[in-house]
Amino acid sequence: MRGPGRWAVLVSLTVAALVMIFPFVLVALNAVKTPEEYASEGPLGLPGGLHLQGIVDFWVRVDFGQKLWNSLLISGSVAVLAVVLSVLNAYALGIGRVRGRLSILVLFLVANTLPQEALVYPLYYLAKEAGLYDSRLSMIIIFTVIQAAFGTYLLSAVLGQFPKEILEAAEIDGAGRFRALVRVVVPISRPTLSVLLIFFFIWTWNEFFLPLIFLISNDNQTVPVALGVLQGERYMDATMSSASALLGIVPAVAFFLIFQRTLTRGVTVGAVK
Amino acid sequence: MIGKSGVAALAALVLALSACGSGSEEAPADGPRVLRLWHYEAAESAMGKAWAEAIKKFEAAHPDVKVEFEEKSFEQIQKTASMVLNSDQAPDVMEYNKGNATAGLLSKQGLLADLTEEVTKRGWDKLLPGGLQTTARYDERGVMGSGNWYGIPNYGEFVMVYYNKDLFEKHGVEVPATFEEFTAALDTFVRAGVTPIGTAGAEYPAQQILYQLALSKADRAWVDAFQAYQGKVDFHGPEFTYAAQTFADWVAKGYVDEKSAGVKAEDMGVAFMNGKHPMMISGSWWYGRFASEIKDFEWGHFLFPGATMAPGSSGNIWVVPEKSANKDLAAEFIDITMSKEIQNLLGNSGGVPVAADPEAITDAKSKELIESFNTLTGRDGLAFYPDWPAPGYYDVLVAATQNLINGSKQPAGMLDEIAQPYEDNLADLGN
Amino acid sequence: MRVRKKGYWLYLVPSLVLFLVVIVVPFLMNLGVSFTRWSGVGTPRWAGLENYARLLEDERFWLSFQNNVALIFAMAVVPTVLGLLLAAALFDFIGKRFGPRTASALRAMYYLPQVLPVAVAGVVWGWMLHPSYGAINQAFGLDLDWLGDPDLALATVMAVMVWFQLGYPVVIFMAGLQRVDPAYYEAADLDGASWWRKVWHITIPQIRPEIFVVLLTCTIAALKVFGPIFVLTRGGPGNATLVPSYFSYLNFFQKSDVGYGSAIATVLALIIVVVTFLFLRIQERES
Repeated sequence: MRGPGRWAVLVSLTVAALVMIFPFVLVALNAVKTPEEYASEGPLGLPGGLHLQGIVDFWVRVDFGQKLWNSLLISGSVAVLAVVLSVLNAYALGIGRVRGRLSILVLFLVANTLPQEALVYPLYYLAKEAGLYDSRLSMIIIFTVIQAAFGTYLLSAVLGQFPKEILEAAEIDGAGRFRALVRVVVPISRPTLSVLLIFFFIWTWNEFFLPLIFLISNDNQTVPVALGVLQGERYMDATMSSASALLGIVPAVAFFLIFQRTLTRGVTVGAVK
Repeated sequence: MIGKSGVAALAALVLALSACGSGSEEAPADGPRVLRLWHYEAAESAMGKAWAEAIKKFEAAHPDVKVEFEEKSFEQIQKTASMVLNSDQAPDVMEYNKGNATAGLLSKQGLLADLTEEVTKRGWDKLLPGGLQTTARYDERGVMGSGNWYGIPNYGEFVMVYYNKDLFEKHGVEVPATFEEFTAALDTFVRAGVTPIGTAGAEYPAQQILYQLALSKADRAWVDAFQAYQGKVDFHGPEFTYAAQTFADWVAKGYVDEKSAGVKAEDMGVAFMNGKHPMMISGSWWYGRFASEIKDFEWGHFLFPGATMAPGSSGNIWVVPEKSANKDLAAEFIDITMSKEIQNLLGNSGGVPVAADPEAITDAKSKELIESFNTLTGRDGLAFYPDWPAPGYYDVLVAATQNLINGSKQPAGMLDEIAQPYEDNLADLGN
Repeated sequence: MRVRKKGYWLYLVPSLVLFLVVIVVPFLMNLGVSFTRWSGVGTPRWAGLENYARLLEDERFWLSFQNNVALIFAMAVVPTVLGLLLAAALFDFIGKRFGPRTASALRAMYYLPQVLPVAVAGVVWGWMLHPSYGAINQAFGLDLDWLGDPDLALATVMAVMVWFQLGYPVVIFMAGLQRVDPAYYEAADLDGASWWRKVWHITIPQIRPEIFVVLLTCTIAALKVFGPIFVLTRGGPGNATLVPSYFSYLNFFQKSDVGYGSAIATVLALIIVVVTFLFLRIQERES
């Protein structure tokens, strides 16, 4: 398709993309309104100017810097640890093809499929016994397991199709199983690993329910839990919620934009040949 | 085969993480005492301001005690209260919701300290008019109204009709004194193409209108039966039948927007502030926000005409967890919040105090609000809220009023829908 | 070669241990609670199969599953199909003719909905779908009650879920397309194959593992969906958008009927496990 045809495709794809991000535009508009503007014009009115005092007040009030750090710590740790676990599992299941791998895979996936409400009370009692109630470590452990289940599934499906010739070549070269994993499998799987890193970070960053239950002290709370402060029983501070929501997703978006470059820099299977 | 260095690295990581695992430190055995205080009111709200001042007063009166205040979110406290209070993370004093399903449940589970002794010692009961004490005391079944004192309210709340003075003037409508005048006013607005009452079917406002309509035909005994199970409630009796029928009529006549089933409370408030509806039937929790954010028109309020009672109750209560080690300090703090100075500050900041000095309230809008509240309590008019009698009843009522607004159910069918869970809960009680 | 297989088991050990503690034990505890009556604190009271019997008769429970089937369509089938087309278009077409940067920028925009916290997304969609002043009604001159009309509510939620989910398959598929040997495409070009034929005969078979993964995980996500329902409609109007996960939540936390909530969660989990198992068998057989 040459000429005008290709522009038509680009334009329609771009329009679709703009529709996708329109809600963000709304959030951004409301983030810089004063409460009075919001009250008199409604959420779809345009802001008169840039009102940033509200967000500054909020930052100080909930110690947003601390919350950002907590979220970063938890999401980052989970992303890395879960990818490591996924690689180990997928190696055994996808390439090692251990016996009973279907059942094992189902077993792991159950971690990802259980509704969180079902886990809350038991985990609460277990965490209390272990002295981990109200700790960030408890969140890291729990989410690593949950995310690794998905990672295991995706990665083992992909590694199931890993070309045997490369593995045999490595074996001939004298590489043990671990060496083969680190030197051959991981580099080639890099695009998929990057996807996992991004997903795990963003999914953990946005987790609200379990952190609400387990992170009680304000020092331990994450960004989504802190945003919950703006939603009272009968009252929601809309302009402040919009502003802090934007603040809250900046790290997640940044993470995505940084890592999406590695998505395209992966080594393709064909090129290895 | 994973590699010894790998295992060592992982172990080191875990150890490092556990070092920053628990954010809260244990208080030293000897050293300054700490009072841990939690609440979930916004800092700029009347309660937020009054309580910040109370903390200052407390610290001034007790220089050897440090107050550790943490602002929580309502949602977190609502979901985790029984878990937190059952652990070492419990604070010394915290704000909590009133009612059987919340404070009643916790008191039944033994998680709240009995405050009866402090109440008699400090005379708090003398400061609280009868209707406000109902939500502070719970019996062994966790039912409010009698039994030990488990909480102390600082403020009150009630439902009224907010109105847009400019729109009333524009359409030549006066503030109605009777229900007939009220209906006539609604007709006037509809004829002019304006939806008179803004409401929200997706959250609490619509069911509160329904309840208000029932209250206009009910007496105190009915409320006691419904809320405290002191008698049998007939869901097809005159009160509820009138309420459901009238509400359905209101939707049919256009007094209430037939498209409000999916609207949230926040949108309802914003619509009123935008001047879209001349009236809004909701609670005193909007008052402070309206006072500071409505700049385009004059507004006021009046009590629902034709009814002695209205939805309302004491505000949220201060409770002291049974696991607290500083119950005496907690009682001191509560005492300060009940002092005239703090109560007056609450009143002047747009809140509804329980024990303020009427002379000391200088802000004009606040004066109006507090006068209405006193009128209501004076005639024992606080009837609590429709979703209180059974856990989870809130969602039942929301779904039922949505069905009425949409016309998916007729009034009789809707009443059956709300009767069943209430009866089920009644059967469960005492278990 | 036989001896080597045993060694691979060791790689599974760390996960299995963690998994046991974090998932299996709590699940068994949950199972145990489902046979009791309990409010979350204090001692549970044995109730045998009472909760399950109640579940079988509970209209709302079965209705919630019905609604869920519609959401599976909106959250799994539609995003997978659309996502495939978008990924192929972005990777092949746009990437080659306008450069990889453009493709990446578009991909980032498609993925952005997944980054926004559900609570905020819910509020914003509420603004757009408001019957009187919502952006959608104003833009198209309509007067529909998107979230309040029981006939429209489920369809509206489905549409919002497509918006929400679309970025996920796009990113996964685009990563998967990295693996495809360009030689295949070159050969097809030499044969004069159209873009569509290339997608159908080369792209789809090559990223089959990713397609299976996306379909299954989206289906599971649809079976578990909670957040968007909570913020958009709370399961209403009436029960028009009630889903099992939200119904379970109502029992756990609103009614403090933890025993019943556990029973619902257990049944939901079992259904998900069965679906997962069947799906994985098919996936195994295909590869």
